[in-house]
Amino acid sequence: MSEAPFRNPGWAGNTGEFDLAEADVRGVVASDGPPADGGHPSVAPSLPYMLAAKDPAAPLFEGPHLERFEKIKSRYPTARAALLPALNLAQELRGFLSPETMDEVAALLGLSNAYVRGVATFYTMYNKRPVGRFLVQVCTNISCNLRGAEDVLAAFLAHAGTELGETSEDGTFTVVEAECLAACGFPTCVQINSRYFEDVGPADVPGIVDRLQGELQSGAAV
Amino acid sequence: MPDNGRSPAGAATVTLTIDDREVTVPKGTSLLEAAALQGTALPHYCYHPGLSAPAQCRICLVEVEGAPKLQPSCVTMAQDGQVVKTDSPEALKMRKGVLEFYLVNHPLDCPICDMSGECKLQDYVFAEGREHGRGREPKRVFGRDDFGGDVLYYGDRCVMCTRCVRFMDEVARDSRLTVVERGSRAVIDTFFDEGLEGASFAGNVVDICPVGALVSKDFLHKARAWDLDSTPSVCPGCSQGCNIELHTRDNLVQRLKPRENAEVNGHWMCDFGRANYEGLNRGGRLEAPAAGRGAKRRPAGWDEALGQLFARLQAAAGADVKIVGSAEWSCEGLAALAAVGAETGEVSARVFRSRCAADEDRLPGFPALARRRDLAPNVDGARTLGFSRVGGEDAAGGLEEVAAHDGVLFVLGDDLADQEAAFGEAASLFVYMGAHGSEAAANADFVLPVTTFAEQEGTFVNVQQRVQRFWPGLRAPGEARPAWLVLGALLAALRGGEAAPASAAAAFSWLAGERAAFAGLSYEGLGAEGAPLAAPAGGNGAA
Ligand code: SF4
Ligand code: SF4
Repeated sequence: MSEAPFRNPGWAGNTGEFDLAEADVRGVVASDGPPADGGHPSVAPSLPYMLAAKDPAAPLFEGPHLERFEKIKSRYPTARAALLPALNLAQELRGFLSPETMDEVAALLGLSNAYVRGVATFYTMYNKRPVGRFLVQVCTNISCNLRGAEDVLAAFLAHAGTELGETSEDGTFTVVEAECLAACGFPTCVQINSRYFEDVGPADVPGIVDRLQGELQSGAAV
Repeated sequence: MPDNGRSPAGAATVTLTIDDREVTVPKGTSLLEAAALQGTALPHYCYHPGLSAPAQCRICLVEVEGAPKLQPSCVTMAQDGQVVKTDSPEALKMRKGVLEFYLVNHPLDCPICDMSGECKLQDYVFAEGREHGRGREPKRVFGRDDFGGDVLYYGDRCVMCTRCVRFMDEVARDSRLTVVERGSRAVIDTFFDEGLEGASFAGNVVDICPVGALVSKDFLHKARAWDLDSTPSVCPGCSQGCNIELHTRDNLVQRLKPRENAEVNGHWMCDFGRANYEGLNRGGRLEAPAAGRGAKRRPAGWDEALGQLFARLQAAAGADVKIVGSAEWSCEGLAALAAVGAETGEVSARVFRSRCAADEDRLPGFPALARRRDLAPNVDGARTLGFSRVGGEDAAGGLEEVAAHDGVLFVLGDDLADQEAAFGEAASLFVYMGAHGSEAAANADFVLPVTTFAEQEGTFVNVQQRVQRFWPGLRAPGEARPAWLVLGALLAALRGGEAAPASAAAAFSWLAGERAAFAGLSYEGLGAEGAPLAAPAGGNGAA
């Protein structure tokens, strides 16, 4: 891979209002170069909103988040158009979209709460239930499937100690299936929060789970 | 009404060919509407004339010469020289395929579905679908969801046309319905448990649902569509006078459905009116005329009763007359009553009582329609004919003078439910005409059974001063007769042998000749949609 140390290039549409360091984006462990376990540097920056600390009771919206919300509204011609990024922001803060959150976002944008529910339920990447500290999405689409994604999924379920779509008892892991993560050249691909882990085989799974547990204990988890 | 982005229908027209036949339509007409004008009914789910057209159901596809692929006829505008084929092999094949997809998850529970017999999925599959399904996979199962109000949702039957969602968005302007989830998991729902409770026009989503996904709880499993008779009528709920159909079976009204009238109610009606039909089925009716006060009352045939009454009226000539009418009786009946009173003597009171709601309830997307404050269908007709409203908002009280009147007293269509048995004790002659008996009619010298509006032909005047006809949907009980027939005969006799009206049409033309406000209107000309009164309302013309 590249000799040059990774430089955060910003992300598409970066207008400079996000003041995130590289470590915020990729995690401290990863920011020294390509991660040994296959975490891929190129995708993480496009999903900055997945990284904030999650607090289900966080206010909608305050301080810098209010500024971002205002910015979002200013960029779209109608409230309906601004709904997706507004829901992104709410999920970034709260970790999932509860009925109350949908209702609040609807009120903020002057939309009907039923409409917001319709949009939120249309997209699978909005969590309608609380998820664990780590949301593990294992791709089971064609490429990954041919490379044994089912076994990788089974290994994650076993090592995280949870059922498909459920959260482990300690609240650390939620394991779900994902349709194509657009990393078909590196199967099996697993997305954990905003990080991509590529070429993952069942044997790699215990190491990844341990590493995430370690990040959690050291306070370095993103 | 949403105009689907069409240019206003002006003078400009376009001429096109649909299925080898030329048709000329106003510019801005969609192919679907043009085909309908030419006599070809194209299948459609998402299109509804009262809503915007999202072109998402893919069932109205037609072949347009020169177009690279089939076009959705609901949003493709008719153009000069266009050649359209609605039944080309390509179009038929495509629609057959689309219908097969519609049946992938459809439960085909027609035997227990209320929509069966008037369902567009049934109709279209019967007309253009495959004879046999090819699916072997199990179908998804949602069960049913109570939306509150009168609305029940069967997700399994839904074809996702979103008419209901758009009705709530565009017409009710209360965006409570939405599509939740996607793909084969998609269902119509409200915001979690919020439901449609309190949305006072929500019943219309049941009417516009093309399949049995939204059904009325009130009508649930009550009658099959093919057993119902349908009669054009006018809603008796309020002075808006929405055009409706009475759906009847076994001589009972089973449900009310709105009937299109662009001037009055569009395609819609309110939930209050829709639920307000039980009164038409009320039993315990007066069935035979009777004569005599209190204990002396005896049944009498119509000839006998009217003969006696005629003699009594002649004898009472010049008396002081007080009349209690009703805003639920037809204009013809009320006008004949007023005329009989005037022939008899000096009319010193012409009154009616009716219930009033605290406020109006307007339909924001069709503002001509509101559930009005006056909760009776002919308040404006009664006013135009010189009756004035007395009593409280609950249609009680206000009859003190009438009750103690010592002259001639007529009551038509008011049950006098709040009145004492001593009502009319002092009257020299008391004639009670109604659908139901009353304790306060004990002193009546004549009790005459008359029909409700649902059992006769006639007209009401609505709040827009529009005269609207209704037709009989129920058989009258026993010997009950329309009030205009009974009073028309009396009036003719009192006036010395004038010909009595023998039909509702004759009664109306008598009315048009008698009352300036109705001048120039013909019964035929009113048609099914009515026409405005010739002159502005007379206001409170009562003496
Ligand atoms: S419930 Fe009926 S009106 Fe609503 S989307 Fe389904 S089929 Fe259409
Ligand atoms: S608005 Fe009035 S006339 Fe129309 S349906 Fe309602 S009650 Fe009946």
